Amino acid sequence: MAKKKSKGIFGFFPKYVYKGEYFDYPLFFVTLFLVAFGLVMIYSTSSYTAQLREGNAAYYLIRQGLFALLGIAAMIVVSFLHYKTWKNLSLMYLTVTIVLLAAVQVIGVASHGAVRWIQIGPLQFQPSEVAKSAVAIFTAHMCTIHAARIKEFKMICMIAAWPFVAIILIALENLSTAIICAMIVFVVVFVTSPNIKQFAVIGAGVVVIMGFFLMIASYRLERISIWLNPEKYDKGYQTLQSLYAIGSGGLFGKGLGQSIQKLGFIPESHNDYIFSVVCEELGLFGAVCVIGMFAFLIWRCIVIAFNTEDLFAALMVVGLTTHIAAQVLINIAVVTNSIPPTGVPLPFISYGGTAMIMVLVEMGMVLSVSRHLHVAKEY
Amino acid sequence: MTKIYNRRKICFLGVMYLLLAGVLISRLGFLMIVKSQYYLEKAQALHDRERSIKAKRGVIYDRNGIELAGNKSVCSVSVIHSQITDEDQVVNALCKYLQMDEKEVRPKVQANTIREKIKSNVDKEIGDALRNLNLDGVMIDEDYKRYYPYDTLASKVLGFTGADNQGIVGLEVFYDEILAGVPGSILTLTNAHGKELENEAESRIEPIHGDNLYISIDVNIQKYAQQVALKTLKAKQAKRVSIVLMNPQNGEIYSMVNVPEYNLNEPYDLVLNQELTCDDTNKKDHRKATQDALNNMWRNFCINDTYEPGSTFKLVTATAALEENVVRLEDSFSCPGFRVVDDRKIRCHKVGGHGLETFTEGFMNSCNPVFIDVGARVGVDDMYKTYEKLGLFEKTGVDLPGEASSIMHKKENVKAVELATMSFGQSFQITPLQLLRAASAVVNGGTLVTPHFGMYTLDENGKNKEKFSYTTKENAVSKTTTDNMKRLLELVVKEGSGSKGQVAGYRIGGKTATSEKLPRGNGKYISSYLGFAPADNPQIIGIVMIDEPVGVYYGGTIAAPVMAELFSNILPYLGIEESYIEE
Repeated sequence: MAKKKSKGIFGFFPKYVYKGEYFDYPLFFVTLFLVAFGLVMIYSTSSYTAQLREGNAAYYLIRQGLFALLGIAAMIVVSFLHYKTWKNLSLMYLTVTIVLLAAVQVIGVASHGAVRWIQIGPLQFQPSEVAKSAVAIFTAHMCTIHAARIKEFKMICMIAAWPFVAIILIALENLSTAIICAMIVFVVVFVTSPNIKQFAVIGAGVVVIMGFFLMIASYRLERISIWLNPEKYDKGYQTLQSLYAIGSGGLFGKGLGQSIQKLGFIPESHNDYIFSVVCEELGLFGAVCVIGMFAFLIWRCIVIAFNTEDLFAALMVVGLTTHIAAQVLINIAVVTNSIPPTGVPLPFISYGGTAMIMVLVEMGMVLSVSRHLHVAKEY
Repeated sequence: MTKIYNRRKICFLGVMYLLLAGVLISRLGFLMIVKSQYYLEKAQALHDRERSIKAKRGVIYDRNGIELAGNKSVCSVSVIHSQITDEDQVVNALCKYLQMDEKEVRPKVQANTIREKIKSNVDKEIGDALRNLNLDGVMIDEDYKRYYPYDTLASKVLGFTGADNQGIVGLEVFYDEILAGVPGSILTLTNAHGKELENEAESRIEPIHGDNLYISIDVNIQKYAQQVALKTLKAKQAKRVSIVLMNPQNGEIYSMVNVPEYNLNEPYDLVLNQELTCDDTNKKDHRKATQDALNNMWRNFCINDTYEPGSTFKLVTATAALEENVVRLEDSFSCPGFRVVDDRKIRCHKVGGHGLETFTEGFMNSCNPVFIDVGARVGVDDMYKTYEKLGLFEKTGVDLPGEASSIMHKKENVKAVELATMSFGQSFQITPLQLLRAASAVVNGGTLVTPHFGMYTLDENGKNKEKFSYTTKENAVSKTTTDNMKRLLELVVKEGSGSKGQVAGYRIGGKTATSEKLPRGNGKYISSYLGFAPADNPQIIGIVMIDEPVGVYYGGTIAAPVMAELFSNILPYLGIEESYIEE
């Protein structure tokens, strides 16, 4: 089957526009569904606080809804762009991101006790959210170029050097995002390389270093004790409230909008801990459905990565998928107190403008790759 | 181009992600199924706010079902700080309607507690007016307040309740558990700031109302006795007058009066300002003096205080002598007006002496030398044995708090002088009720009863009658002795020192007493008279005590007529028929 260039809506800029013969509608719709579900949950969790603080119950819903619309538009636009555009832009994209990350350190705006935002006029913007896709694309690009020599340690260092700068800058303010970026690099390199053993060694090494890090950083150790016994520590409050919410959900939950824990017991329940309110209101059934949606989304991404013939496309999709998967898994693990608490938002659902737009753009990238898939037609 | 190993690894990653999701699902399953109940309860405890619903306090009725202590609807006002929108408005309204000082109200309004009580026992109209203002954060709760329809009637018996409707003194505290009931509660859900949530189901635990108490007091007798006591108090300018009327057969107290009584609806208003003997300059002293005066006002002298019974106690000595067969009624004694015991000369109240007299005459004359001799014949051991049989070493067991114990000589310390003085009722102290109980046993055929008020309880619906049972000790005194004693005591009234206790048409028994208060020689007396009727089969026994009368202070002269007046009305009221027609 021949590839054919479509004029599409970007007919005036044909080089970068590609419509293809396939489009992964399942991925597209599950994304839309998650965004819609997220908006419902944002309203449910934030309306009470919004009414109290802003005098408008829909304050957070409207803001998040605007970002969602913007993000969906961006997703559609990006899905028409040829994914190679990103390959060409990857170095610039990451460099700009690093500059922004550095800028955060200088002109950043503090919120929730951490400097993560850049203020541009009325808009606040979180560079670390952009960094995840930048790191994924850049690493995918580097790995594609150097795939032949990927076994060499020197090569890996070279690939990881520039992303590493970004990771360090992120780690200054937001360790969990830095860890996610590191995971993306690790996974992309892992997929590129034919080796398995050395990655097992690196994995073990990371565990040892993490352990050592936890040993020397005492405040992180406290985090560990809070994790193990949230009831005994004041700082375990949030974790404990989350567990109360999850546990009181039971099998089918209290019903949408009926959460009590969101009424100030869980601080900022529309942010990182939104999933515990999902559990409280919709029960185990609802929670499993939500996880199922994410699983489906990840599975579609993996299918696209698996089927694409282009290495860069595959690696990029793997990197972006890892971003989504890591955030979902870490977020739910934190909310259920399965791992020590760390602030990671739940993609598509947690409140946050930059994050919402960025994950939708990333989905657009994955969808643009899906346009290059060939469908075997059997009659 | 992607290679096989790339795809294999992509596949591996996909499986890993899905496996991890599976792990999280099982973790959720553990939390939401296994631990669900645990966390649900914890969360519930966090969200629930308990508001108690007061139980209605049981009503106290007299023996005929007339209400002595009931309940009135009132309101209690409290504020919930987190719900207040306009603090000044709330403070102003509370000050205005509750007539409280801003200094007192504002800290309570500002207190960041879940619920701060401002004032209880607020009249219903004021509460309704406040509620109509619809102030945010001000809660008006319906409440019950104790109400005593007869104000002062039997105040020292009934007692009163405090701000939380808890018994403070008297029957109210003795039967508090029965009357109080069990408060119920309303559980409501709140948000993290303690604000109650609307549309959340309230779970309600209904209160168990207190049981109604029926007591042996008869309102008519009590009212009449109080009226008579007040008249006597005024006439004799006495410090106080106490009257107890009881059924000697079973110990049911018909009436217990201690005038001056206080108003049960205003128990903190001093009846007599002179009781407050302190200048107002020192505030702390003033408060203490006020409290002392109040405590004194609330005292029930028939039970809480002891006194030297004096001549009325001679009936105990006579009983001991008759029981021990050391004297016969016709034994003769001589009274020269005094008796020398060891080195002490003890006088008879009749200075010239009664001369030669039989024991019966000595009893009728209330002659001290006769009883000194009789007491000596009985001896310490047998005297104390009789005291014990008549319950003088123990509390009567009356159902009122704070009963006093008798103050007796130690047996080994009793020498001839002590024995002599005890024989005519001096040098020891008992409560009036102890004397009445002992006298009841002497005249009712020998049964030691427990004086009491509480008869039975009914629940709020008038069902589930629960009778109280009281201990009785039979054969405290032999039949022969009681018969003799009844005859002797009847003679006292018929022809002896208690002649003013006579009631036309009735056979009355009685004994007078005039006890000089300690220290001797201060001219302060307690005049008393113990009487019962009908003399052959006593249905009512009573004691009148006039504390510190001015002028004539002989019990036979001033106390006996009081009892006669009471009996002349109460005996017909009780349906006791006249036993003879006066010629």
